[in-house]
Amino acid sequence: MAVIQNIKQIQSMPAEARAAVDEIRRADIVVGIPSYNNSKSIGHVVQAAHAGLAKYFPRHNGIIINSDGGSKDGTPEVVTRTPIQDAQLLMLSTPMKPVHRLSFPYHGIPGKGSAFRMIFQMASLLDARACVVVDSDLRSITPEWFDLLIRPVLDGGFDFVAPYYHRHKYDGTITNSIVYPLTRCLYGQRLRQPIGGDFGMSQALLNRYLERDDWETDVARFGIDIWMTTIAVAEGFKVCQSFLGAKLHDAKDPGADLSAMLQQVTSSVFMLMREYENTWRSRTGSEPAALFGFRYDVGLDPINVNLDRMLSAFRKGAEDLGEVWKLALRPDTLAAIMALAKSARAPAFHLDDELWVKIIYELACTARGSRLERTTLLKSIAPLYLGRVASFVVESADMGAAQVEQRIEKLCLTFEDLKPYLIGIWFGEPANPPATPRTPAPAAELPEQLEV
Amino acid sequence: MIKTLEQLLEGVVGGILTQLNRLLPPLIVAVFLFAVFVLLAVLVRWILTKAVKGARMDRFLKDMGLSNMLVDQGDVHTTPMVAGAAYWLILIIGALIGLSLFNTQLTSRMVESAVFMLPKIVTAGLILLAGAWLAQFLSRSVLVWTHNEDLPGPRRWAAATKVMVMFVAVVAATEILGFAPHVFFAAFVILGSGLVLAASLAIGLGGRDAIRRYLDSRAAEKHAEEDEKSLWNHL
Repeated sequence: MAVIQNIKQIQSMPAEARAAVDEIRRADIVVGIPSYNNSKSIGHVVQAAHAGLAKYFPRHNGIIINSDGGSKDGTPEVVTRTPIQDAQLLMLSTPMKPVHRLSFPYHGIPGKGSAFRMIFQMASLLDARACVVVDSDLRSITPEWFDLLIRPVLDGGFDFVAPYYHRHKYDGTITNSIVYPLTRCLYGQRLRQPIGGDFGMSQALLNRYLERDDWETDVARFGIDIWMTTIAVAEGFKVCQSFLGAKLHDAKDPGADLSAMLQQVTSSVFMLMREYENTWRSRTGSEPAALFGFRYDVGLDPINVNLDRMLSAFRKGAEDLGEVWKLALRPDTLAAIMALAKSARAPAFHLDDELWVKIIYELACTARGSRLERTTLLKSIAPLYLGRVASFVVESADMGAAQVEQRIEKLCLTFEDLKPYLIGIWFGEPANPPATPRTPAPAAELPEQLEV
Repeated sequence: MIKTLEQLLEGVVGGILTQLNRLLPPLIVAVFLFAVFVLLAVLVRWILTKAVKGARMDRFLKDMGLSNMLVDQGDVHTTPMVAGAAYWLILIIGALIGLSLFNTQLTSRMVESAVFMLPKIVTAGLILLAGAWLAQFLSRSVLVWTHNEDLPGPRRWAAATKVMVMFVAVVAATEILGFAPHVFFAAFVILGSGLVLAASLAIGLGGRDAIRRYLDSRAAEKHAEEDEKSLWNHL
């Protein structure tokens, strides 16, 4: 079986990547960096990776692989030519094994997922014990990130290490309003940044990813992050988080529009909900995942928000797209949205948690069913999402980081409380009335999760 | 006088009796046969409703988006639909067999026409169904696309798409049925040509100004978007 899998992987890899694998033969750690026109920032990421491997894993064979999507700005050249001066940089005196740096264009559907696929294939063929992937546009990455993402795998027996960052309250809004609460509620693991983009993985998990045959779906694009996280938690792999500080990064591809990103992420989430329906059906509540790393406060990039534009998009969406939303949403849910849209004005706008959770659950149920119309439906939800973000912006205008975190916790509890409603509409069973709404514990009473 | 009247009445009654003698046996048999077919139809419908779950078919219709075309929420159950179709099919067959028992020129022609037209009606129905599905699917796609691209009047674009696709389906269906095919085809050509002409005139006369206004407003919006860009780029 393993031989067949290896043959399949070799066949679908670019020739130069195959030749590199043949030459290098084996590696302990593979660092993967997907890129597309990131020449300005990728040099720093490569330096951090190189320094991280040298400083924390000097006795391991490490390889840095850049999987490039056909950059026109010389990104691959930056990867291979960025000067590294380990001794001066890290004040190292002990000898260390050399770190290879490779850059190849990947094949297949253009997107982050396809880039990861080539990295995983190479890591698997090189028999790597651990693989870590990081974004190529990170400005806040340090060598310590690699220790935090790799060591739980090599020394702690974990299969999947998710990142845990400090982010601005308006950063990561898809994570905060949809992906984190939904993943947590479904699979019972509190991984705070399930689509963070910087992950550590064991060999076993890597091979599981490669076994799957859904690489040609939205997984090939922005759906990859949630796909990786969901498979890890749903299939019982040992998961943890590492605190990496702040996540500061460049703006993503300006050509990529919001609705496409939302569609790819939600499509992956809903597709996996169908696959793992028997898994999440039986799971109740949620538990915190182990958290490594020393937590500290950091300064964050400001995020500017134009509230009026978001509300205008929400109103226009309700005006235009009611016909499409009608496919997914129950009449009372749709009526509540339409009523809200009529009076959507800045200071008093509020899209409550229960309505938002029902919207997500009902969308999930419909997206599971209609294969052909799923894309159309999911491309139409950007205004709903903007309405929810606008409501959050209004509500959190004067909130500090701890209060915002509590607010997100409250939303997560609503997702969990309404899970019987999801089970009811998903499996066609009568739903039990939801339990009395819970309120999150005050910030001071939250259990300390740091282990290192 | 009375005798003449009697003769007339005898002639009429005789004619009626002759006709009754000729038509009553097949009528009785036809009524009996139709009653049997009604019973058979009810039985088949009951068996199909009870015995066939149709869950796979329900899921297939849902996956294909056909359920949403038939019902807004897409909760279509195939079993009652199939059972209903079987019920009516058996009734129609019973009625045709009953009619054929009379063996008159009129009934023979009716049965022949029905048998001859049935495949055409089914084909035309399928074309209309497929057209309706395609029209709905394409109009929704156009609606979402025009909305996301911020084009003016997304609902008008969607409605126009639906009308055009349905019109093509109707033309194809009438072609199959042989029902005034030239009229529908000519209407289609006239409508299509009219639309192209109208679009050309609209673009020629008002398009430049409209495009200029649109580009100006986009440029102004783009400037406003710069500040907000960071939100879109932070998932």
